[in-house]
Amino acid sequence: MLVKIIREIRGLPRFSYLLALLTIFGLGAGFYRLYAGLGDTTNMSKVFPWGVWISFDLTTVALSGGAFTLAALVYIFHMHDLHPATRPTVLFGLLGYASVLVILFFDLGRWDRFWHFLVYPNINSALFEVSWCIAIYSTILVYEFSPVIVERFGNNKLLDFIKKLTVPMVIAGVTLSSMHQSSLGTLFIVMSPRLHPLWYSLLLPVFFLLSSIPAGISLIIIGSIVSDYLFGHSLSQRVIEKLGWLAPWVLGFYLALKLGELLVTEELELLFHSGIYSVLFLAELVIGVVIPMILFSIKKVRWSRTGSLVAALFVAAGIVFNRFNATWFAIKPLNGVIYTPSWLELALLVGVASGVLLVFTLISHYFPVFVETMPTKKHLQTEAASLEPAPTPTGD
Amino acid sequence: MTEHKYGFLIDASCCIDCRACLVACSVENNVPMKNTRIWIHDTGVMGEYPNLSRYSAPFHCMHCVDPSCVSACTVGALQQSREGIVIYDQDRCIGCRYCMYACPFEVPNFEWQERLALIIKCDLCTARLDEGGQPACAATCPTRAIQFGRRDEMLNLAYKRIQENPQRYVAHVYGEHENGGTSTFYISPVPFEQLGFPVTGQTESPAHFNRLVTHGTPTVAAGVAIGMAGIYLAIKRQAADNAAAAAEHARPEHKAEEE
Repeated sequence: MLVKIIREIRGLPRFSYLLALLTIFGLGAGFYRLYAGLGDTTNMSKVFPWGVWISFDLTTVALSGGAFTLAALVYIFHMHDLHPATRPTVLFGLLGYASVLVILFFDLGRWDRFWHFLVYPNINSALFEVSWCIAIYSTILVYEFSPVIVERFGNNKLLDFIKKLTVPMVIAGVTLSSMHQSSLGTLFIVMSPRLHPLWYSLLLPVFFLLSSIPAGISLIIIGSIVSDYLFGHSLSQRVIEKLGWLAPWVLGFYLALKLGELLVTEELELLFHSGIYSVLFLAELVIGVVIPMILFSIKKVRWSRTGSLVAALFVAAGIVFNRFNATWFAIKPLNGVIYTPSWLELALLVGVASGVLLVFTLISHYFPVFVETMPTKKHLQTEAASLEPAPTPTGD
Repeated sequence: MTEHKYGFLIDASCCIDCRACLVACSVENNVPMKNTRIWIHDTGVMGEYPNLSRYSAPFHCMHCVDPSCVSACTVGALQQSREGIVIYDQDRCIGCRYCMYACPFEVPNFEWQERLALIIKCDLCTARLDEGGQPACAATCPTRAIQFGRRDEMLNLAYKRIQENPQRYVAHVYGEHENGGTSTFYISPVPFEQLGFPVTGQTESPAHFNRLVTHGTPTVAAGVAIGMAGIYLAIKRQAADNAAAAAEHARPEHKAEEE
């Protein structure tokens, strides 16, 4: 038995050992925070009650937007040629949300009461809406991913039943996603005195929803190319090209709406006269919207792996920047207090992110996540090598 | 209907920064001094020697007419009572700290040092009010800088004092219109920015806009769901029509569809 376990562990890709170590370290830091309280372990304070954990949560939710975008494209818009991307994307979405829930747990002052949102509703609260939507949507993601697990154990009857309900479940999932992606923007509406006017807008829910679509798409593309290196599986360039083709439309609409909003509220001059805030805002738009919009409009770029990767990285960087701006950099400092995270706050983030990647590795190792993706050349070589008795080499 | 029965009038020209209100708050609510629900804002020493001056004023929950924190609170731990008091139910609170960001007056504080931490916020000494008394801070204040009474009376008194002594006060009753109106009114010899009061500049509570959006959510959600279902069915029907049309032409054509 023990020998078997050790053999299993040795069969895993090497980088998963490092991920496991980081996870243990990060969660250890997290449990220490539960023991010691938030004051001594984090740099959050009365004037900065939310720190980098919330910035991470909002960013991760946006980047996990690929799951609902893709589900809508494949099942509702009938773009079945994108189907190969669904399994890894849904799994990433699921794990992304799981990491957000774990971080939120450590963030709560009364973590022992995390379930209170289920029984004490406040229908006016954006955070209440977000909690509910994320809770239900995570369940739907589990459902959307369940065929992968069921397939492994070959229960065809159950599989048929699950597949029958797919479309209504996808519609529910897309609805809940658009609701919580936008509700995360609503979060800031009641905070208007604290958020810089360049970011504050009554359209924030729309901005957050719109930006989560290219963010999700970009992460599918990045994930595909990274998994080429890690797991030897990737999406075909045809799928990547099609996803890339969608991006400029949404990005363009988003840009027009953002600038239009500033024009209508007569805040356009803030764009150049707000010092560091102008720089942050313009950088966010140029890096995350303008550059990738141009790149993804070029056919040659979309058909090139490197080109798509670079353009997708710009989108992802832009979304990280945007969510960090809204939750951190563009929050007006009070009494000159500027927040920077403590090492423990960062350690928990690193730990949870590593844990998520580790679980992704394990699931894709044991379950048919990549069945429809293209095994790349390197993978075929390693497959051939693994037929020999030597331990499986991996491409890290 | 909420009545907004009670109100404070806090006169910065009377405050001597003795901090008796902090002690009273600490004793009444049985909390350590660092977790009191009232604290002091001050101007620091102003002017050139020998004409030095320094003003201060106690600061606590303003008990807004339309409180942002009540709108924000995830679990409804913050509520407005029928008498207009913003009360806090510490058995519900999950410590998410959204209220701290939502409050434009930076009032809610947090038990940063506790293992299971809660929010710190004035509840207007509800227990004392029920017995017909005054909040501990107002009852204690030796210079009557903190006055407590009916909200409309306090507002009238604020204007009366400014009118009777226009050279003593700036012509602004802080809290009358801030954040859409509150139940705590301040008058001061110096502009409120100098006292370190948050300048909200807003005469309507963001809670109002927040409700506009959150209450629209179910409608929008229904719209999205119906729209998605419609698109699904429309495309499906079109595909079926196309297939039928193709079948009518009856030319066996193999579409080489590969990955």
